[in-house]
Amino acid sequence: MEESGSVESLCSSTTTRSDLSSGTRRSDAELRVRTKLQHNTLHSVPKTATKGKAFEKVYKDPSKEVLPLLPEEIIQDAAKDVTYICPFIGPIRGTLTVTNYRLFFRCTDREPVFVLDLPLGVLSRVEKIGAATSRGDVSYGLVCKDVRNLRFVHKELEDSLKKSVFEVLMKFAFPVSNNMSLFAFEYKQVFPVNGWKVYDPLAEYKRQGLPNESWRISKVNDHYELCDSYPAALVVPVTITDEELRRVSSFRAKGRIPVLSWIHPESQATVVRSSQPMVGQNGRRCKEDEKLLQAIMDANAQSHKLFIFDARPTVNAAANKMKGGGYESEDAYQNAELVFLDIHNIHVMRESLRKLKEVVYPNIEDSHWLSNLESTHWLEHIKLILAGALRIADKVESGKTSVVVHCSDGWDRTAQLTSLALIMLDSHYRTIRGFQILLEKEWLSFGHRFQLRLGHGDKNHTDADRSPIFLQFIDCVWQMTRQFPAAFEFNEYFLITILDHLYSCLFGTFLCNSEQQRLKEEVPKRTVSLWSFVNSQLEEFVNPLYVHYPSHVLFPTVGIRHLQLWVSYYIRWNPRMRPQEPVHQRYKELLAKRAELQKRVEELQREAANRTASSSSERTGSPTLSITPVQTFV
Amino acid sequence: MLTGSKTTFKVRQMVPDMKERMLSHSNFHARGRDVLGLCCLPGECVLQRAVLVRKKLSAKEGGGWLSGTLFCTHFRVAFVPQDSRKPDDNADPVLLGDHDVALASIDKVVAVGPSRSKLVTPSCSLKFTPEELVLYCRDLRVLCFLFDRLTPDTQAEEITYTIAKTYQPLKPGTILSFQNAALGSIEMKQFLSNRRRDPDMNWFECSADWEQELERTGATGWRVSSVNDRFEMSTSLPRFSVVPQRVLDTELKKTFAHFNEGRIPRWCWRHPRGSDLLRMASFQNNIYHEKDDIRNLELVLFGGQQLCVIVDLGEEMPSPADIQLAHTRLRTLCLGDISSSVSVPDDKWLSTLESTRWLDYTRCCLRKAAEVACLLRGGHMTVVLQEPEDRDMNCVVCSLVQVMCDPHCRTVVGFQGLLQKEWITAGHKFLSRINYHRDCDKEEAPVFLLFLDCVWQLWAQYPARFQLTEHYLLALHDSVHLPLFSSFLANCQRERCRRSQHLPQSYTPVNGLRELPMGAPEEPVDPPFPPVWDWVLQYSSQRRARFTQPVSQPAYPPPLLNGNLNTNLDRIWHNDGLPGSVFLLSRSSFSCPSNLLPWRSGNSGSYWKSHRRAPSSEGLSGLERLIRACSLSETSDSTTTLHDPYEPLLPLLFGPCVRVWRGCYLRGALHAQAFSHPMSSCSQHPLEQLAWEVQQLRDKLAQASVRPHQNQSKRQEPQRLESNLNQNANNGTFLFSSSRTSQQQPSPGRGPAQSSILPRAQRTASDPPRASQKNNGKHTFLFGHQEPQSVSRYGPSPSAKLPKHKGNSH
Repeated sequence: MEESGSVESLCSSTTTRSDLSSGTRRSDAELRVRTKLQHNTLHSVPKTATKGKAFEKVYKDPSKEVLPLLPEEIIQDAAKDVTYICPFIGPIRGTLTVTNYRLFFRCTDREPVFVLDLPLGVLSRVEKIGAATSRGDVSYGLVCKDVRNLRFVHKELEDSLKKSVFEVLMKFAFPVSNNMSLFAFEYKQVFPVNGWKVYDPLAEYKRQGLPNESWRISKVNDHYELCDSYPAALVVPVTITDEELRRVSSFRAKGRIPVLSWIHPESQATVVRSSQPMVGQNGRRCKEDEKLLQAIMDANAQSHKLFIFDARPTVNAAANKMKGGGYESEDAYQNAELVFLDIHNIHVMRESLRKLKEVVYPNIEDSHWLSNLESTHWLEHIKLILAGALRIADKVESGKTSVVVHCSDGWDRTAQLTSLALIMLDSHYRTIRGFQILLEKEWLSFGHRFQLRLGHGDKNHTDADRSPIFLQFIDCVWQMTRQFPAAFEFNEYFLITILDHLYSCLFGTFLCNSEQQRLKEEVPKRTVSLWSFVNSQLEEFVNPLYVHYPSHVLFPTVGIRHLQLWVSYYIRWNPRMRPQEPVHQRYKELLAKRAELQKRVEELQREAANRTASSSSERTGSPTLSITPVQTFV
Repeated sequence: MLTGSKTTFKVRQMVPDMKERMLSHSNFHARGRDVLGLCCLPGECVLQRAVLVRKKLSAKEGGGWLSGTLFCTHFRVAFVPQDSRKPDDNADPVLLGDHDVALASIDKVVAVGPSRSKLVTPSCSLKFTPEELVLYCRDLRVLCFLFDRLTPDTQAEEITYTIAKTYQPLKPGTILSFQNAALGSIEMKQFLSNRRRDPDMNWFECSADWEQELERTGATGWRVSSVNDRFEMSTSLPRFSVVPQRVLDTELKKTFAHFNEGRIPRWCWRHPRGSDLLRMASFQNNIYHEKDDIRNLELVLFGGQQLCVIVDLGEEMPSPADIQLAHTRLRTLCLGDISSSVSVPDDKWLSTLESTRWLDYTRCCLRKAAEVACLLRGGHMTVVLQEPEDRDMNCVVCSLVQVMCDPHCRTVVGFQGLLQKEWITAGHKFLSRINYHRDCDKEEAPVFLLFLDCVWQLWAQYPARFQLTEHYLLALHDSVHLPLFSSFLANCQRERCRRSQHLPQSYTPVNGLRELPMGAPEEPVDPPFPPVWDWVLQYSSQRRARFTQPVSQPAYPPPLLNGNLNTNLDRIWHNDGLPGSVFLLSRSSFSCPSNLLPWRSGNSGSYWKSHRRAPSSEGLSGLERLIRACSLSETSDSTTTLHDPYEPLLPLLFGPCVRVWRGCYLRGALHAQAFSHPMSSCSQHPLEQLAWEVQQLRDKLAQASVRPHQNQSKRQEPQRLESNLNQNANNGTFLFSSSRTSQQQPSPGRGPAQSSILPRAQRTASDPPRASQKNNGKHTFLFGHQEPQSVSRYGPSPSAKLPKHKGNSH
């Protein structure tokens, strides 16, 4: 923590600091504990009282001490006497402050002090509810992307010329719609680590042993001419020329040709991703595309078959033929076997999450909880995605067969499937850095359309392109961490942090739709990477139970009875969900304890070795040699 | 670079104990090993065996397959893996090996052939050679054996038949032959009669046991009455009950008639804040209440307190029939039985699970217990649990409350004592409820299993606060299905005593002679049935080692001064200051119906009438505030509760928080999971893994520090190091409880004088005969030659009682 106070302030200012699951109450409690520690006293009542006073005094003189402002964060407006209609504890009166980054609500009358602190990026919609009441109250509803809704009431301003705090809020919540830049472009915090350097495609391919005799790294997309949503570096079979690739690109939707995503270090079986072929109703064919798939199969000597996983349900794939798309026919692609994985499209997923939100927020009906959960089909979708990834991983690992994965455009379901399969296959992606690389590679560089799916700073909340595809992927990863608690270097807090900053627009990582756009906007130059923040305080995110097995494949069980709803994400705002044990704290203690024990063992071993060396004449065959340090991976 | 060969581990190589075992076996390699390799119990004979069989390992065991030999004996179906240890003839018999299942636990035998599967019954004939044998067990395990192509067909068929014929679909009469097969041999009887009970746990079988409990909880104003010593006052109550000191036995005798089955209000536990927990059956209404009786009844009900809350468990709790129905549905759902036509599609799993209502009942019990725990926390009242029969839900709620409130009850030893106190001696009708004999189907209801589920829910929400583990709960869950244990083979203590022909022969004067310490010749000589707590008899040491985990804080709070920790809590109800206010807690709200105490209503209650006023609303609201605390779960920050050992563990009862016990009910779900991570399994809690690793480190530490210790030249240094470590550990709050320090520090002058550093010491003074005997045993051990090992073993050590297995596991 001592490396920079600023990192600390950042932690406490984002709502993510919720100890893995609880809502504001918890961070509140933390605050109190912190003050307690500072003053080294146990009388909490007078302490909080003085704290309240301090706050009042400060408020008269708006100062940064109360609001933990980030660099370049500026208070835009503040209003007293705003009532937050909390669905759990009822109306709370307090002051509302809006900055260019966050909404900050604070009520000091209550014990404990109530604080609501959320980045404006999570807002998907701000609307006035109903007309002003007879008492002159106006009500505003805030719909958030992180599975909660907020409601505020405040008095209509008599001075109608003055903007209400909510109008200011709307302006800053949706900067893109208001021709302003996202806060990420203003935020200038310096971290000891530069997260933009985490992913270097060539280094990553080199780690996989590429290029090799069958695969080369093509520069055909160097200027994003072949495909604007693909990365610059593409790995393709050596036997296919760049010219042929160009022809293939005209046959694949959005030019997203089949390229290598991962290669098995032993069997040379590969995971290849692409978009759908533009077969159309007439059953168009493309010689070069057929040749490319054949070359992919040939690159793996172990198998004479190629599996094509089409993520869509069969019906949808067939329906796509109407729009010129479709799927590989078995006539054209001999030796290839086509499998449909029955995963639904972004609209179904969006609807499912909407239902889930209805079921979990704000109140949960205990007696019908499970059937309500079932009716959202959320777990069913999770299951299908995991099951699909499992089949891919199984084909590659057990069948030693190369696979091609695609959906329609190859940037939603395909990204989910390939990245999950890669996590199962390659333990590198289960480390913190490896996971970052995986996200950078499979999601960011291969053009998952984050801007479109999340609508950063865009007020058009009904946009049909929005969909929780990435959230679903993180949920799947979380399901795997449940089943293999020792296989992942990161903890749950890491995943929640990623999701929180997915929406916060504090970091540049998840901005824009493609690598090309990001370069054009100079995102790496102008913004801070989420990984800078994460990698500067890794100890927060380390799973103390992690054991590193370099070559071990995970095959999760995917039945619904083995999946769980990720309650500590979806239901974290509910105070009834407060964690029973401060898991996060305990994790840290465990890490410290482990390191300490490790150190002591080493010390004692050294000492014992010294001693036996000095007295070796007395005793021979010292058993000290048999003591090997217990491996820890901290 | 991706390097290294991509090996796919067979997980059994990596599971620590397995690995260890395999290592130790490499020594045997050269020698010719007994191919059969089954370690039989005395008198057990193998009926049939099949070689080259593969057993499917559950996800918990790591998945994959294990090959070996399958046996069927009169008692069990045993599986011996190929590489298993050669049986040691001198070892004490263990009823079940790690891969075995007792015939009595088997519910269904299904043979899977090339094209179909068939339920095998003793009478039917197989028309195909089974390729796979699936055993569905009553304890929700599913064992799956695969016959290799090399298994002789005849063996595969024969063993399937044999199992089908030998396993007993339990019915009247068959149970006896099973019991005989297991324990009937002379050697076994002899072995059992020589076994000594675990002296560390409280058995609640003699008055000293109860006195010890009174003392442990710091309860004053109560005494042990042996008025029911010969079961004359109540047949279903234990011989000893704890009643207020002020009530004489002669007076007490008159109260029995006022309660159903004579189950009078009895003291169970005292909360450190001075409230007492009692339980009783419903009142007998059609009885004339004499003036003197009324005084006694009130005394018995109130103890020394001014306020009494009666918690009605009759109405809103699930009835035994409900529980039975729910459990049957849950079983069907979870087993996904091939033989039955009911198979729930995956996408209907959640709603079907909900419709079993099992989770609702779990929640209901937990909620009630949490309410009671919150009440008790208020201090200075008696909370009396009332159920018509006082033999089902009272057991559940009363013991759950104690698990929530009393850290001692979250250790293995304490938990077993708790079950002795609130279930076994208290007369839960185990025999009828489990229905071993299949002769009381109407009574059958897995009330105890529901309780275990509730404990698991607590455990799952507060894993670090329990010394016992999920493995322990599972072991207990499975043992319930074995009709071999005296604990479960009777409906009340009287039956148990009668069966062992050990009804006390002579008249024992009230409060007279104290029972002899246990282990004395009083121990029944001819008991065929051991208590379930004799885990050494049931499980291998590897499995028993997983019953406990280190606890984060001293499991035992410092000794209590008369149980009155309570000081600054506002005593709201004292303002309305009525001695003898009684409230009824029902459906989470308080009321004061006029007929709550039958003797107070009507004219007969004239004695107390003058005192009876309508209780003020303040009193009610004060109580309600206590309860609300629990329903909102907003009482306290987790930061504060963590450090206060007296704060009850209040479970979250929110829909998503009450979960299905996957580790138990879904053990049967055999899923195609080709490999799993070496260090993981689907349901093992991470803490277990971590505990193991820390244990490794500690062992190494102990080794490393012992070695220089032997070296005479520098003796002091390692000791200092070690004690340093312990100090740090204490500051670090996690893995080592404070009192261990005192045990660990090698003391220059060893001897009985050192007992003063033991936490147990306080007891020694006041409870001379038993305690000193125990402590003697302890001294020889603790200060004996094996110190390093005692240091290395984690267990319930920082305790009033000794780690359980120490004596016999070394």
